[in-house]
Amino acid sequence: MANERDQVHPFSARVDAPYWDGLADGTLKIQRCDSCREWRWPADWRCGSCGSYDLGWEVVEPTGIVYSWIRTRQPFVAAYADLVPYVNVLVELPQAGGARLMGLLTGDTDDVEVGRRVVGNFQPASARTIDLPVLTWTLEAA
Amino acid sequence: MNRPSGVAAIGYGATPYYKRGQSPHAERKLLLMAIDEAARMGGIDAADIDGFVSYGADLEDGPRLTAPLGTKELRWSSLVWGGGGGGSAGAIAQAEAAILSSQAETVVVYRATAESTSGRLSSAVIQGVFGAQYRAHGIDSPVQALALRTQRILEGAGVPRSALSAIARASYFHANHNPGAVGEAIELTEEMYEQSRLVVDPVRLFDSSRENDAAAAIIFTSAERAKDLTDKPIHLLASAYGADGPRWGEMDENHEPYIASSQASAGRRIWARTGLGPSDIDVMQLYVNFTGPPVSAIIDLGFCTAESAGEFLTFENLIAPNGVLPINTSGGDMAEGFLHGMGNAVEAVRQLRGESSNPVPGAKTCFVSGGPISELSSAALFSTEPLD
Repeated sequence: MANERDQVHPFSARVDAPYWDGLADGTLKIQRCDSCREWRWPADWRCGSCGSYDLGWEVVEPTGIVYSWIRTRQPFVAAYADLVPYVNVLVELPQAGGARLMGLLTGDTDDVEVGRRVVGNFQPASARTIDLPVLTWTLEAA
Repeated sequence: MNRPSGVAAIGYGATPYYKRGQSPHAERKLLLMAIDEAARMGGIDAADIDGFVSYGADLEDGPRLTAPLGTKELRWSSLVWGGGGGGSAGAIAQAEAAILSSQAETVVVYRATAESTSGRLSSAVIQGVFGAQYRAHGIDSPVQALALRTQRILEGAGVPRSALSAIARASYFHANHNPGAVGEAIELTEEMYEQSRLVVDPVRLFDSSRENDAAAAIIFTSAERAKDLTDKPIHLLASAYGADGPRWGEMDENHEPYIASSQASAGRRIWARTGLGPSDIDVMQLYVNFTGPPVSAIIDLGFCTAESAGEFLTFENLIAPNGVLPINTSGGDMAEGFLHGMGNAVEAVRQLRGESSNPVPGAKTCFVSGGPISELSSAALFSTEPLD
């Protein structure tokens, strides 16, 4: 949970900088090994499968499947306090080797359950999102 | 010089579990008092302790303790690196390594935390633990991350909610008989559990442990020396820590298997070293930061499967004296007090010495699972008798 990826400065030197840059440009990019073609997520410097340092980024569709979800009922995060209760989803991306992303679920949250299809929405950076562009998610019609 | 053939616990000490921020003593003083209590029980002079081990980024390193303890010689000082409370039994493994290799002779394993020293939990434990992939989306608390994993245990693997409530109710049932336990006066019924408020769905208030101000310590030495010091040495049959790769670690909820506890690796090595298995275990002390992780641990260690978890994890099966597998016989992390798992190892030794407030008649073996679904996890197996 705590990791070196968050301790690299400047931000552009982080291994996952292309991910955030992609979101700012309205594209979802996931890291993939140029040598063995394995998807790598979370992003890292070395491919754990083949040992290559040649890791690239591929644009994938911002759609996925709810792998898990929670509904936060206490203001654990000050910037989200006005949204309580809010739902977060952990979204699996089958088109990116099953990589999983966390995000806020907006719109209808009553019908959320594991296995539901969701669509991502690109949101600009804001104070709420610690100044990072993010994907939020909505349930696809059942 | 002959190297020791085995390791045993000779004494334990534990302070009361104070509400967070309400300890009348500083953190280091709490710890010194716990170590003194353990030394008295073990029949040694605290100044003879030559090794110090803790985990979970504990602030009280060995060299900070040597002056007030009058330590004659410092021979070992180490901290389990990573995994937070997942290293709780890993600290025991480091003590075992130190003693079996003759690096040190008398090693204390401990945990101490008090808000006056370690600060508020929000700054000491939570802030900065979660990376950008969590915080950008409003996730910055352990309960939220553990709720994601617990939801997958319930909705994904189909483990019934009753397995979680059984863990909680057994913990409180045992605390009801333990004077001083934080849950001593709370008789948790199924109705109370079901009606308790949701904190982060699916985690309810009674699925959650809350940290206390406290300290606890266990002193280990060689099995050969232990029998000269105490008439009740508790043998450490095996201990282990780690995790099964390659997809385990700090992975922003991308670890696999997702609902695993990370106990499989340590557990497998415990069974291999001892030749024992789940059917040989009389009592279990499980890490319960929240009720989901111990369910995963029980599955990973081979006591049941996800499919049979609902049938196996029932209140009746989990309580002393006659349950199939009594768990957390002091009340555990949830209902005795939460010291990031250290209380579980103390209760294991206490139970096998016949000093538990919920004795399991004839218990010879007690398994300690240090597995809160963390990046690194650990386990230890204690017995009243050494291995043959």
